[in-house]
Amino acid sequence: MEYSNNLVIGLLIFVVAGIAMSFGALLIGHLIRTKLPHPEKAAAYECGEPAIGPGWVQFDLRFYVVALVFLIFDIEVALFYPWAVVYKEAGIAALWDMLVFFGVIVVGYLYLWRFGYLDWVRATGLHDKRSTVRRDDALGRAARQWM
Amino acid sequence: MGGIQVGNLCHNVGSAARTMMDTMDAIRNILADQFWFSIVLGLVVFGGIQGAVAYAILLERKISAWTQDRYGPNRVGPYGILQPIADGLKFFLKEDIIPANVDKALFIFAPWMIFVVALVGFAVIPWGGSFKWGWMEATAKPMVVQVASVDIGLLYIVAVSSLSVYGVVLGGWASNNKYSFYGAIRAAAQMLSYEVPMGMCLMAAILMTGSLRLEEMVDWQARHGWAVMYHPIAALVLFITALAEANRMPFDLAESEQELIGGYHTEYSALKLALFFLAEYSHMITSSAMMICIFFGGYLVPGWEWLNTTPTFGAALVRVAVFAFKIFLFICLYMLIRWTIPRFRFDQLMRLAWKGLVPMTMTLVAAQGLVLYMGWSQWTTTAVNIGVFLFGGFVSVAGGKAVTGRQLSLRRAEAMG
Repeated sequence: MEYSNNLVIGLLIFVVAGIAMSFGALLIGHLIRTKLPHPEKAAAYECGEPAIGPGWVQFDLRFYVVALVFLIFDIEVALFYPWAVVYKEAGIAALWDMLVFFGVIVVGYLYLWRFGYLDWVRATGLHDKRSTVRRDDALGRAARQWM
Repeated sequence: MGGIQVGNLCHNVGSAARTMMDTMDAIRNILADQFWFSIVLGLVVFGGIQGAVAYAILLERKISAWTQDRYGPNRVGPYGILQPIADGLKFFLKEDIIPANVDKALFIFAPWMIFVVALVGFAVIPWGGSFKWGWMEATAKPMVVQVASVDIGLLYIVAVSSLSVYGVVLGGWASNNKYSFYGAIRAAAQMLSYEVPMGMCLMAAILMTGSLRLEEMVDWQARHGWAVMYHPIAALVLFITALAEANRMPFDLAESEQELIGGYHTEYSALKLALFFLAEYSHMITSSAMMICIFFGGYLVPGWEWLNTTPTFGAALVRVAVFAFKIFLFICLYMLIRWTIPRFRFDQLMRLAWKGLVPMTMTLVAAQGLVLYMGWSQWTTTAVNIGVFLFGGFVSVAGGKAVTGRQLSLRRAEAMG
């Protein structure tokens, strides 16, 4: 394609058409729909009970770990794509380059696996092999009650 | 006198015909120019997608009714085919509630963003190869049935489809509702996790075809046969990740009704809710189109060589129809799976992505690279795929990792009598 701006045009068509359609729809809806405001309707819907505190609560740290792990892998993928396109022409150097890089990633991946960062529920005592808590001692029995 | 009148009339008719011919020529010239053709095609695709999405929602309801032995919507028009129009009207007429304590700007921005982002992916889908109009010269460049034909087509789709996570997170966060917030956070973690194996699957395909252009991948398959034969497990994993990216049923933890009311769109109503739904179904269509281009031969039909080689407009239309039919089959598969496989638990979801799909797809990429380097037959990767599948199945069964703590204690209790 000679049109270097073709992708921009394609993007613009969809962005403009999408914005125009959703804006038009929202505008028409705004003009014709009923409005009967009520404080009950404006309250947060949490099973119909009055909401306690704001919705912006603390969440599990695991989500941050997932995001960090993803970042590493995504950079890997982003670096791999151009490599994959030229791989056939680039020959042996490309293979070794990428094997080294891939190796580093795999080592990191194995580290994550070994130390439980890939488990959503980490080391509960019951299925952690390295744990000193055995299944049939007092602590293990107590843990099993709650599992 | 009569003669003059007739002459004038003839003159008028002649000039009218000439201006009509001129307009026709102008239209032909515009249609023969890729730039304007792309714009026309873009608008046609946009309209087509809107209609397809509306009817995909009806199809979803019909298929779920069929699976559960019900009738489904059948009151509006014959067999309920006017139901999407009635639904659309209802979305216009319902009250649009913006709760009092939301972050108003982001609350309004999120559905717009997710809707627009779900649409822009269609720009690089090769709908029907290339063709020439009947009035074009034999030496002219053929027209491409694709809004934008660019070198980075696949990368662009991946980038754009992962943007949809922003819409979900913004919508959930702005709602100031704990359920919405949890739904959004879950959706973010899930989409991030499943993007890694998706990237790996695509990488195997890129290595095999040596191109990021979707149309060149289809051409490669015209020469070598559908890519799914060489990488069946990569195609399966890609399908699984597409389900997860679209928040479809076995992976719809972000909006699981039993746990989170409606997930990230709990607080949305009327048209803003509709925009979320439109975005979800558009996303399904984009990801099916991507899978079809990469692994299932695009617009190709095995045994129909003429389809790929005929450069006429009619053949292009047939190719578009074939492509649309394949998308239809994929959408039906998505919907059948919704009523077949129960929802995963969140730790299972994460384990499937990070401990199952990632190592599997890493192996496939490494195998594909090795096959290319050693110059082995492409069929070697088929064997590797089957091997990975069998080994993965063996490990997961023999390792017994799928048994959770509660089941373990139940088994022990049973064994003890």
